[in-house]
Amino acid sequence: MRSGWAHNARWGLRAVQAAVFVLLVVAWELSSRWGWLDPFFFSRPSSVAERVVRWFATGEVYRHIYVTSLETVLAFLVGSLLGVVVGFAFALSPGLSRVFDPYVKVANAMPRIVLAPIFTLWFGLGVLSKVAFGVTLVFFVVFFNTYQGVREVDRNVLNNARMLGATEGDLVRHVLLPSALVWILSSLHTSVGLALVGAVVGEYLGSARGLGYLIQQAEALFDTTGVFAGLVVLAGFVLAVDLLVTSVERRLLRWKPPAHVEEVV
Amino acid sequence: MKLASPPGTCAVRLRRCRRSFRTPDGGVYVALDGVDLEVRAGEFVALVGPTGCGKSTLLNLVAGLLQPDAGSVEVFGEPLVGINRRASYLFQQDVLLPWKTAEENVMLGLVFRRVPREQARRQARAWLERVGLRGFENRYPHQLSGGMRKRVALAQNLIVNPEILLMDEPFAALDVQTRQLMENDLLRIWQEERKTVLFVTHDLEEAIALSDRVVVLSAGPAARPVGEFPVELPRPRDVTEVRLDPAFGDLFRRVWELLRGEVLRAFRLGP
Ligand SMILES: Nc1ncnc2c1ncn2[C@@H]1O[C@H](COP(=O)(O)OP(=O)(O)OP(=O)(O)O)[C@@H](O)[C@H]1O
Ligand SMILES: [Mg+2]
Repeated sequence: MRSGWAHNARWGLRAVQAAVFVLLVVAWELSSRWGWLDPFFFSRPSSVAERVVRWFATGEVYRHIYVTSLETVLAFLVGSLLGVVVGFAFALSPGLSRVFDPYVKVANAMPRIVLAPIFTLWFGLGVLSKVAFGVTLVFFVVFFNTYQGVREVDRNVLNNARMLGATEGDLVRHVLLPSALVWILSSLHTSVGLALVGAVVGEYLGSARGLGYLIQQAEALFDTTGVFAGLVVLAGFVLAVDLLVTSVERRLLRWKPPAHVEEVV
Repeated sequence: MKLASPPGTCAVRLRRCRRSFRTPDGGVYVALDGVDLEVRAGEFVALVGPTGCGKSTLLNLVAGLLQPDAGSVEVFGEPLVGINRRASYLFQQDVLLPWKTAEENVMLGLVFRRVPREQARRQARAWLERVGLRGFENRYPHQLSGGMRKRVALAQNLIVNPEILLMDEPFAALDVQTRQLMENDLLRIWQEERKTVLFVTHDLEEAIALSDRVVVLSAGPAARPVGEFPVELPRPRDVTEVRLDPAFGDLFRRVWELLRGEVLRAFRLGP
């Protein structure tokens, strides 16, 4: 009974969400056709859709998507790996964390965007400079969560494992790492999102490929339709990445008690 | 140095042990002081005392998780260094790993001993069956009741076949029926395997029903054993039936007289 109701409520919600979308697009299209909005500045949905379709039809957009994905994945992996390793080191050695605490704070507070030009200088216009930029964003999120996750492990849980004969390595593998993983996973959406931001912003600031480049290029030519088309492709890409992250999260957190409420309004 | 009893017969011996803690306001709180305690191999000793007197601290000393400030801890005649490898410890708190299933939690000790996975898994299943959890192997801790989690923890402790079992109020959070079932299970296993047990409890009835000897700890600070009562009730016992024995009531009254004084003192002194 209840789940039937929940089911209906969910579909009702989806219908309303879709209606809002259709309404906005139609309003935009008509305003532009009737001259309320200048198509030079605002383009119009039909032109945008046409452009997106053409990009995919000619296949020219694929290499941009490929480059952006590659940068995102690399930034995420490298940033996470560094974050986990350094997070562990800091959590397990109080001396280290005491010495480097101010450096970490300053580095984290610094607006990372100022680094982009330096990275371009160091690593060139290619994939590497975007990855480096993304890494500086992802690293801190993963680092802080790992640190927290390791520090938060219950002392009794650790002692129980020790009494059962765990070596230090066993503790890391069976207790500390999984515990940190819970924290890292809880910020997975954020860190993957930041890897993507790193890639796109890096491309936007200087490159010859990627979705950020696509948008920047259109903007330079005052091609509003191109900018919007780029945004649409980017939005689709972000959505796909987010769905992927959610499914990974579900799989890895199977053991967790479900959050008590289903997403029923 | 002279030995009171030949080595080998004494599983645990605490001599003049003291342990203190730093308090948040910068002072020092002496939890245990002058603790002398002997547990013979194969003996079931119950430790009772008012709340906060230092029962868990005493177990931690025997487990090697805490070191005494003064005095010594010996295990089978040898001074204890580091973790007590001959003991297992059933904690007062819930300590199962939430990301491992019941079976994986139970086999943990064998994994740490590098027993091949399949063999460890088989043994874990057998132990889960022994504590009445057949069919729950693949549940995660949050999918088990409090009593079931305690059973998993018990199996997790017993699978490593420890010589000494340290238990800290293992059944305190259980309902009466589950509790009696588990107490009987424990007695049966103890009878079969003749382990040395040091069992902490708030519950004097439980202490008498299970043990060979009840040790009463005084109220803190500087708590120490202030009374020892041998329990001469016949074995094997059933925890529900043994309570009807007239000797049980007698003993209960004698221990309670001492314990009540300590409980009241703890209450008046406060923490
Ligand atoms: N890590 C610690 N730091 C500071 N004080 C502590 C610490 N551990 C224990 N104590 C203090 O030592 C005393 C004994 O604690 P302990 O946990 O051994 O008591 P207990 O007899 O097990 O109590 P309960 O029956 O409630 O479990 C308490 O007053 C407690 O506040
Ligand atoms: Mg306690």
